[in-house]
Amino acid sequence: MRSIRTKLEPLTGVLVTAAVALLALPLGCSTGLRAPGPAASVDGAPPRRGGTLRLASVFDVRNLDPAGPSDGLTMQAQLLLFDGLVDFDRDGHVVPNLAEKWEVSDEGRTYRFTLRAGVRMHDGAELTADDVRRSIERALHPTTPSSVASFYEGLAGYSAYAGGTAPHLDGTVEGRYVVTFRLEQPDAAFLALLGLPAMRPVCASAGDRYVDTWQPCGSGPFELEPGGWQHGTSLRVVRHEGYFRPGLPHLDAVEWSFGVWPVPQRFRFEDGDLDLLLNATQADVGRFMADARWKGLGVNFFDNTIWGEAMNTRIPPFDNVEIRRAVAAEIDRNEYAMIKPSQMSPLTQLLPRGVPGYDPSFQGQVHDEAAALEHMRRAGYPYDPATGKGGWPAPIVYTVSDVSVGAYASQILQQALARIGLHLELRLVSYPAYLAITQRAGASAMHPQGNQGDYADPSTFFEPLFTTGAIRSEGCSNTAFYSNPIYDDIVTRARRATSDDVRRALYHTANEILRDDAPWAFTYGQHDFVMRQPYVKGFHAHPVWPFDVREVWLDRGDALPAPLTGGLR
Amino acid sequence: MRRALRRLGWSVFVVWAVVSLAFAVNNLVPGDPARMVAGVQARPADVERIRVQLGLDRPPLVQYGLFWKRLVHVGPRVVDAAKDPAHASCAVVVGLGDSALHVDLGRSYQRRQPVVDLILTRLPRTFALAVAGIFLQLLFGLTTGVLAAWRRGSWIDRALVGTSLLGVSAPTFLIALALQYVLAYWLRWLPLDGFGKTLGDHARCIVLPALTLGVYGAAYYTRLVRDEMAGLLEQDWIRTARAKGLSPARVLVVHGLRNALVPVVTSVGLDFGALMGGAIVTEKVFRWPGIGELAVGGMLDRDGPVILACVVVSAAFIVASNLLADAVHTRLDPRMRARA
Repeated sequence: MRSIRTKLEPLTGVLVTAAVALLALPLGCSTGLRAPGPAASVDGAPPRRGGTLRLASVFDVRNLDPAGPSDGLTMQAQLLLFDGLVDFDRDGHVVPNLAEKWEVSDEGRTYRFTLRAGVRMHDGAELTADDVRRSIERALHPTTPSSVASFYEGLAGYSAYAGGTAPHLDGTVEGRYVVTFRLEQPDAAFLALLGLPAMRPVCASAGDRYVDTWQPCGSGPFELEPGGWQHGTSLRVVRHEGYFRPGLPHLDAVEWSFGVWPVPQRFRFEDGDLDLLLNATQADVGRFMADARWKGLGVNFFDNTIWGEAMNTRIPPFDNVEIRRAVAAEIDRNEYAMIKPSQMSPLTQLLPRGVPGYDPSFQGQVHDEAAALEHMRRAGYPYDPATGKGGWPAPIVYTVSDVSVGAYASQILQQALARIGLHLELRLVSYPAYLAITQRAGASAMHPQGNQGDYADPSTFFEPLFTTGAIRSEGCSNTAFYSNPIYDDIVTRARRATSDDVRRALYHTANEILRDDAPWAFTYGQHDFVMRQPYVKGFHAHPVWPFDVREVWLDRGDALPAPLTGGLR
Repeated sequence: MRRALRRLGWSVFVVWAVVSLAFAVNNLVPGDPARMVAGVQARPADVERIRVQLGLDRPPLVQYGLFWKRLVHVGPRVVDAAKDPAHASCAVVVGLGDSALHVDLGRSYQRRQPVVDLILTRLPRTFALAVAGIFLQLLFGLTTGVLAAWRRGSWIDRALVGTSLLGVSAPTFLIALALQYVLAYWLRWLPLDGFGKTLGDHARCIVLPALTLGVYGAAYYTRLVRDEMAGLLEQDWIRTARAKGLSPARVLVVHGLRNALVPVVTSVGLDFGALMGGAIVTEKVFRWPGIGELAVGGMLDRDGPVILACVVVSAAFIVASNLLADAVHTRLDPRMRARA
């Protein structure tokens, strides 16, 4: 009589084979990629009007009102609907947009904007200086749930207005097309701040005060279709026929699906149901790049987010600058970038590529293990790699979010620092807990921290992350709790300087201080990587806006396939 | 009657306890809802302003008291949100003369909508998915369980039990991805995900998530029914039924299956209640906009009103479906009737 085990063996084999096959299917081990949808004409053909651009994102748009709470994806959606007085060209420079010109006077304290005549809002009304002023005061009103109102505290009259003691900001409206803003102090970042969605004019229907139920209406290249926004599910915007730039946008509409995981996104993109693939997994990027039909259709964006290992300068051992220098010298930034090479690049200094003021020739922090060991010796904690003796005697708690790239990077860091006698104890927590712990004074010795540029100016990196003024006991953005009066002074002067050359020199010095004091060991810059179908034309990387479709056009050479979704994307 | 009232009172206590626990946990674990609304990089002044606007500057006990005070209260019969902001997030349940009974679950911090509206919009979707999922679980589970019990010890039994082991062990997301790959991407028979706009769209879109729940749960019911029936089919009264000349199918279904259903009903009661709390992974993977999808977003964003509302709904349905399961249980099992 055969044993039960013998009887079950053939069945077990079948089950294991079936399980492996089932696991392999979603990973696509046994299938190649489908061919991309063809383009009708060769590159260089003139743009054609029409078509709907279809996109998907893992995340959700939170708010379409530019005055409301915002984040990266929300801002991208708002850019479709609202145009600003100023914009940024493909080199990241501020250029006129709804304002055809501006004059700066009073040593950089007064900005006088002249609007273009004949700019039409989505409701058909002409944009006037009153609209600009009303929109800005609406966004900065104390009852508005704005995420960025305090960026504009330099506006004259802001304190009284935000405190509810003044009905208006200082500033004047002259006639129909001229509006003037005054600043308390010269602010070199003011024009960049003015380009943010929060400052973009909204239709009269928005009124003077923010309400949640307002139907978004602005002067952007697209307008919201009635019922076009299903919160958490989809957004559909259609061309604003009265857009002030002749011939633009080329597209009839943009449709955006939200909450779509990366693997289903790839299925839909490959099947021709999406025109751009925004959230590809690294494995899928590798597959696309290895396929001659798809290679060349990937678009690399500029780094807009920086990451570093923040070391709390008030907690041992990181109150010792030599220990911080040792960490900065031990980290091999190329190892970090290998986690997701399509979207990560080694970072040796504070400013990422794409931000005005970035200096590619700057000598930043570099990997040098011998130097790291020397810094450990100078700190008073010499370490002998051969015997494993010495180093910092206690484990260092490293707090990291359990759903980020940081969870992988932390293991690289742990191994690297062990080689110089620093032993990390990884504490993986939820993202909200990670934020709460790392932003609280005295709660975290070391953790990864990222910063996405809020606006196109170096100050968005230098000020919140490292100035003394940014230090708070809770909700602190300077999570290294780094304080250096010389650095503070340089950064303040750079913000107020009106000469680009002076600013560049000051920020260069500030960058050197950060490199040498090492409150952060800079690790990697992060950028978007987007796959496009061959028929998507005019899509390019922009240094400021992660997503600009004003000049995109579709050149499809075949009929649209039946959608893989249930109709509502 | 006294027993029913006691059960009802106990059920209300369970809902209160679960919601209170959720409130405590949400307030005790690190994380700042105002920060989550304002954004990771928002400056302290902006975070503080939003904190005050959301009422999060009040002590947690005051917030807790307000939640229960607002949950069910009497208010105007007709609510004009613009003129009466105090009742803007209420749903009118039943009229009481000039007044009405209101239910108020607050406003979502992130979505900035009355939570009661979000729940009412999503509840029917989750209900549809739960019913479809349970239906498929029972269809597959009972069929294969009876078959395995009937052919106990044969290769059919081993194959079904082995497959059910695979179903129980496989994570839901893996089943979901495999079904998406085969039925949507490869064969193109069904939509990959979404909800659709028309009734036809909804019907097509629900198939894959319901199948995912069906495959996952069916495995459990296969084993439950098979083991239960295997024991029952050895009983003397089954032998008697066979000896009386009843057909095998009648013995199997009327005498065997009916008695095996007692634990199945209990499990269905628990499962249905849990699914009404949201089939979290399934709804998320398939972008089925139900309670589960809402709950996930709420938890990730520390959106207190949404979390509490989802807990209230989930707890209420689990309690209600258990009460219902008890009633059906009593109906199926004469011993329970006698005890009652």
